[in-house]
Order: sequence, then C-alpha cells, then structure tokens
Amino acid sequence: MPYVATTGEQTEAQFVALVEALAADPAQRGQLADLLGEEHSHYDQLGTATVVQMRGWVLLALSRVGVDNAALVFVLEELDTGIDAYLVAAAARALRSYPSPNAAFAPFVMRALNHIRLRDEPVSFDGYGEYAVLSAGTSPIRELLATLAWLGPHAREVLPEIEAFLGQRGRLSKKLQIDADRALAAIRDADSADQAGTDNCCALPAGLRSTFSWALGSRRGCETIDSTVFEDHEGAQLTFREFFRGHPSIVAFFYTRCDNPLKCSLTVTKLARVQALLQEKGLADQIHTAAITYDPAFDVAERIRGYGQNRGMRLDACHRMLRATNGVDALRSYFKLGVNFIESLVNRHRIEVYVLDAQGRIAASFERIHWDERQVVDRAIEVRKEITGESVPGPAPEPTATPQGAKTVSPTLGTLASLGVAFFPKCPVCWAAYLSVFGIAGLEQIPYAAWLQPVLVAVMLVNFASVWLRGRSSGRMSGFYLVCAGALLIAVSKTGLDWDDAATWGVALTVAGSLLSALGARNGKSNGEIRQRKGESVSGLRA
Amino acid sequence: MATKSKAAKSPKPGKAGSAAKSSAPGASSAAASEAKQIDDRVAGLVESPLDACASDENLQAVLDILRNRNEPVEVRLAALQSLQAASFSVNAFESSRGDYTLALRQVAEDPNPELRQRVLGLLAREKDGFAQKKLLAGLKNPEKALVPPEKALQLLSYDVHAETYAAARAIVSNPPNAMARREALRLLAADATSAPMFEKILRDKDERAEIRQIAASALQALKPAKLQAHARELLLDTSEYEDIQATSLTAVTQFGDGAAIAADQELVKCVDRLSESGGSKVKQGARRFLSKYGFTTK
Repeated sequence: MPYVATTGEQTEAQFVALVEALAADPAQRGQLADLLGEEHSHYDQLGTATVVQMRGWVLLALSRVGVDNAALVFVLEELDTGIDAYLVAAAARALRSYPSPNAAFAPFVMRALNHIRLRDEPVSFDGYGEYAVLSAGTSPIRELLATLAWLGPHAREVLPEIEAFLGQRGRLSKKLQIDADRALAAIRDADSADQAGTDNCCALPAGLRSTFSWALGSRRGCETIDSTVFEDHEGAQLTFREFFRGHPSIVAFFYTRCDNPLKCSLTVTKLARVQALLQEKGLADQIHTAAITYDPAFDVAERIRGYGQNRGMRLDACHRMLRATNGVDALRSYFKLGVNFIESLVNRHRIEVYVLDAQGRIAASFERIHWDERQVVDRAIEVRKEITGESVPGPAPEPTATPQGAKTVSPTLGTLASLGVAFFPKCPVCWAAYLSVFGIAGLEQIPYAAWLQPVLVAVMLVNFASVWLRGRSSGRMSGFYLVCAGALLIAVSKTGLDWDDAATWGVALTVAGSLLSALGARNGKSNGEIRQRKGESVSGLRA
Repeated sequence: MATKSKAAKSPKPGKAGSAAKSSAPGASSAAASEAKQIDDRVAGLVESPLDACASDENLQAVLDILRNRNEPVEVRLAALQSLQAASFSVNAFESSRGDYTLALRQVAEDPNPELRQRVLGLLAREKDGFAQKKLLAGLKNPEKALVPPEKALQLLSYDVHAETYAAARAIVSNPPNAMARREALRLLAADATSAPMFEKILRDKDERAEIRQIAASALQALKPAKLQAHARELLLDTSEYEDIQATSLTAVTQFGDGAAIAADQELVKCVDRLSESGGSKVKQGARRFLSKYGFTTK
C-alpha cells in the first residue's frame, strides 16, 4: 500500500503535450516563451526538480523551432544565473537556434562555463523527465563548448578567458577536450573572422526585454497594496503606505532558503552596494531601500536580519528587510512577481528589482539578467527628481504631460513676473493712467495694491533660480546670463536713474533668457533620450 | 519495501572481471587485479584515493569495479570510498565528476542494499534529481523503494526544494513505522505550514518525549514566539514530564525575551521552585535560567 498519494504526473503530461503542440504549430510557437514565465500556473505546487524538467523541455522545444527575441531573455537568464546542469545545457543548446551568432552572447556562455564547471553532470535530452544513466548523453559543458564553436569568431572578445579556462590541466576529460579544441579552432578561425565583423560585445539584440520603465503618467496606482502589512527585520509592523510613500524606493525580492548563490544571496549583496552608492551621493535618507522576502512564513524577523547583515546591508528606518504578514497575494499581483511555490516554499523565481516613485508606484524594473547597481541608483535619482522638480541629466524619464507642463509654466510665470516688476505702477495715479491707456473702465473695481510688487519680485527670483538650475543641469548657461542681465536692467529702472528704456530691455532680455533656457533643457533631454524606455534593453551595458 | 538479493556478498574475488582494467597503474591497478586477495584490493583502493583521478584509465578502472555486480561487495564499497575521498579534491576531480555521477546513478539500483543506500546518500547530498525521483517513487510505491522510508526521508531532507512535504505529511498521519514518522517530522520542521501540527504535538502528553522535543525544535525555527508561549505553559504545568520541562527551560533561557521574562513573576516563581524540587536536568536548567535573568538561587 502506498504511504503517499500520487499527484503531479497528470499536470506534467498535460504540460508536455502542450509544449509539443505549440512547437508543432508555426502559428503558435511564439507562445513557448510564455511558458517560461515563472508565475505560470503550470508550475504552481510542483517541486523544483519537476519545474526544472518542465522548463528544460520548453527550452529544448525552442532549440528545435528556433529562439526568437521574446524567448532569448529566458535563454540568456539561464546562462547568466543558472546552476542546474539540465537547464544550463538546454539553454546552451537553445541559444544555437537563434537566427545568428552575436558577440554579446559570448560573455553569457563564458559565465555559464564558470558557474557550471563544478556541477557538470550527464544530462539526457531523449525524453521528458529522463536522467542520463548511460554515457550516451550530453552535459552542460559539452553544450556550452558547442555553443562557443557556433559563436566562432563572435566569441573573440572572451578568447583569453576561454583559453585560461580550458588551459588548466585536468579541467576537462579527454572526451570534452575534443569539443574544446573544436571551439577554440572556430573562435580563432581567421576566415570567418571577417564575416563576424565588428559587432559589439555589449550590445544585445534590440527587443530583448530585461529592463522596463514607466513614465510618470503611465504608472499603476498602488492602492491595492497600500494596507499590506509588513514586519521588518526588528519585528516592527508597518504598512506599504507607511514605508513606501513620500520618497522613491529601491525594492529587491529574495528568500533566505534560495540555494542559488547567483540569485538571492547576490541580489541582497548588491542591494547593500546600492545602499553604499546612495550613501556616497548623500541620498541614503532620501531614497529608501527594501528587501522583501518571497517566503514570509519561514523568513521570520531574526532570520532576515541575519541574512541582510551577513551580506553587508545597512538596516535602519530607511533601509529594511521586510516580510509581508498579510496581503501576500496582493503584493505578488501588484509587482507581477516572477515566482511560483510549492505550498509556501518557492520552487522557482527570477531576479527582480524595482524602483518605486514617491507614491509607491513602479517606475522601473530590472528583471532576470543581472542588474547593474549604478544603473538602478541612477534611475532612482531620476525618479527622485520628479519630486524635487530638478531637471534630469542624461537618460531622463520619458516626457509626459505633467512634468513637461510644469516646466513650461515655470519660465512663463517668471517672465510675466519680470514684466510686472518692470512696469508696476509707482502710485495710484500711475495705476489709473495704465488702465486708461488700455481703455479699462470702472477703476473702482481694480484697486491699487502695493503688496503686489514684492510678490512679483519673489516670483521673478524663483524664475531666476529655476533658470540657473536648468542651465546647470543642461550645461547651457546662456539663458541664465540673459535673465541676469534682464534682472539687472529691471533693477536699474527702479532706482530712479531716469533710464526709461531700461525696463523694456530688461523684460526683453528676461523673456529671451527664459525661452532659451526652456528650449535648451528640452533639447538636452531629447538628445540623451531614455535608452531604457518601453523595454529597450540596457542589460548589455554590464557585459 | 522491495527486498533485493545480496548477489555480491561472496568473499571470493569475482570471476567476471571483464570491466576491470589490469593496465591501470599504481594502487588502482592493484585493486583492479582480480588475482589479488580482497583485503589487498581494498587496501589498494583506500590507501591512495587521489590515484583514482590520476588518469582516465585509473578512473575508469575504479568506476568499473564500483559498477561490476560480480565484484565482491567489500571491494566495490572500497572503490566507492576511494572515489568519494577523491571527489573532495575539487580541482583534481573536476574532469571526472561527470563519469562519477553517471556511475553512482547506475549503482543506485544495485541489488546490494548497503551499496545502494550509500550511493543514494552521495547523490542526495548533491541534490541529484535522479536520486530524488527514485526516493520519492519509493515513498509513493513501496514496491519500488530502494531504501526504507525513514532513510528515504532523511536523504530527501538534504534538499529543502525537493517535493517532499506532502509525502512527509502523509507519513506522519499514516506511518509505516515509528522511525519513519520521526524522520517525517524532522523534515517538516522546515515547513512553515506544519507549525500548528507541531504545537499540537508539543502539548500532547501521549507523544514520546523525543517526538515532542522535535516539535519544540521545529517551533523554534518556524514560530519562535509560539514556542515561548508554549514553553511557559509547560513549565507552569506541574504534571508535565521532566524531559519536556527541561526542554522548555532551555527554550526560555536561550531564546526568551529578557524583559518580558523578568516581569513574569508567576514564571520566575515556578522556575525557582523547580530549581529546588525538580529532577536533576530540570534543576540544572532552572538554575541556568535564574542565573541568566539575574535571580539568585536559594
């Protein structure tokens, strides 16, 4: 009599049938990549070993029908962070089905070789769920060497690393040495070298989606999780609203039982480096950081505190390790977390880091492929400038109605203020004269107000500061100099030196300076435009 | 559990020998030679484990001994020991790891139970999917079991991500034997959803002390605050067993909240009483408690 009821086989059989059906139908092959999303319901309540077999089977199907850009990120992710022999071998094989070799793939293959070398074991691709028991199978190292041979001269950038790797005595068995020699010969092949051209090792194919960004006006509200309660590393209770509203935040997800050192452990270590960068820039108390566990039932306060401290995390009121004590599903849904579970334990997850704006809304996400700490910090600084109103240097947020509108209003108001100051009537008689010039009747309805002049002066000074800030950030100070000259002339006109044209010239210079400043800032932004908008890849920067 | 015949238990050297390579040099060569006595071959294998990965020929010779069901089991176990020791030398063994894993998988279903269990243990420690699949299959279907259920659970517990919680829970509710139940509880000590079950076991005076102590340990990992609350209640219960009171004292002494405990006069009085009237383990634990929290013993 069985001790344990049999479950799961039906799900796996259905999954395999689905993969085969999708692979067989050219019109539906694109959906194979969707099956690699960790959150897919097929992976719910299955053990990690089963999930490995299922994902590996999808990668093998892709290797038969060809990897496209939608699937490429999953293949590269496995090479970048995978430690399972079966999945790494399947990913290496799948990469060879991409339409053409690309130099940007070589560092991924090299990293995979380094990660998997101590876990190299035979794998079988003969049938679903099979393990290699006879020597006829393949192995991740063998597949990676074959992929290097496929890359050929495109892998020249990593040739010294490959030579160092393969050069170590006893590293490869005799059987693998043949594959290694073949790979080296292909990479060194002078005839093919010209065909490989000068493609950039750091530029991944366009359309690879690993970094996403949302412009201010297009961000989803976080009302659904505002009341989600967290417990921090000290056991203190706080809601999402309390910790994440009022300032930008950088949020990473992890869990302490993750056995992949290239995922959670490294993510939290890198978050500690992010904190150090914020500290260097004096922003440690203005941009918060949080590491939230996927496994709140097991990761109690003491456990997450130790995990963070052991990886160099700064832990205080602005920087916390968190576990959700209620509303976990809402959190998972809000972030669209790439994770799945068997009961409360994670069976598979992706790397994911988010930048939240001051409203707790997701402004950017960095997924799957290893993220660069500086890039994340820079994005958080951009998001912070949305609050402070400073213009954004370099790759700035996508122009949206709200900030653009605000920045256009500023020079206009300032210019009007300058006009007001220059031509402000000195007494009630002047006020009457102005109104009569414009033919306005009913003087009693527009009384003279002496307090208006200091207000206009104040607005003019605001414009003065705004043009200076804009000039400093865009590197174009000419507008500021014109506004300075204009302000000086307006001041002169008020001193009673009897230079009637001074005010007119002052206003003209202020208008010109303000316009120049506003246009300069906008051009600067267009030029540096936002590489990482709308899913454009920036992950190649780290290669 | 399926019973396997002990085919290779003969003390005499095996006759097949087709796989053994006499050309291998050194100790491995001596071990591979069927002409030698079993003791000499065992000594040859165990003395210099790194010899196994000195060359491809040596490695294959030792792997062949391990795989060969006609070899005496002592020699095969020595071959396994030699390979296991060699595998600790990470760099020297790197190129041999694939063949080693393959050989272990081939021996995992060997008729000899001792060899089978040791090989499955080595694979399970590496979180090998093949071994996990075989072990889980054995729990689901005892006819296919390669090792007893308690051993299977122990080996599966090396990988927290193995699909074992449901299997362990089923064994707790329907245990084939007491050891299997104990191993299943140990395994579930990392399963957060099992905390209520452990609370129940901890308070159940009909459970054996060892099982209740496993429950206390599991609660410390999963719900430390709950353990503190239960430990307090167990200490105040004058009818509680000595072993459990000693465990409770350890919990409140090592992991308790100092301020809360110092303010808990009822608990302090109770522990003070235990320091005088309890059994030896309880007295010792009670005095440690009083000393830690700054109370003087009488």
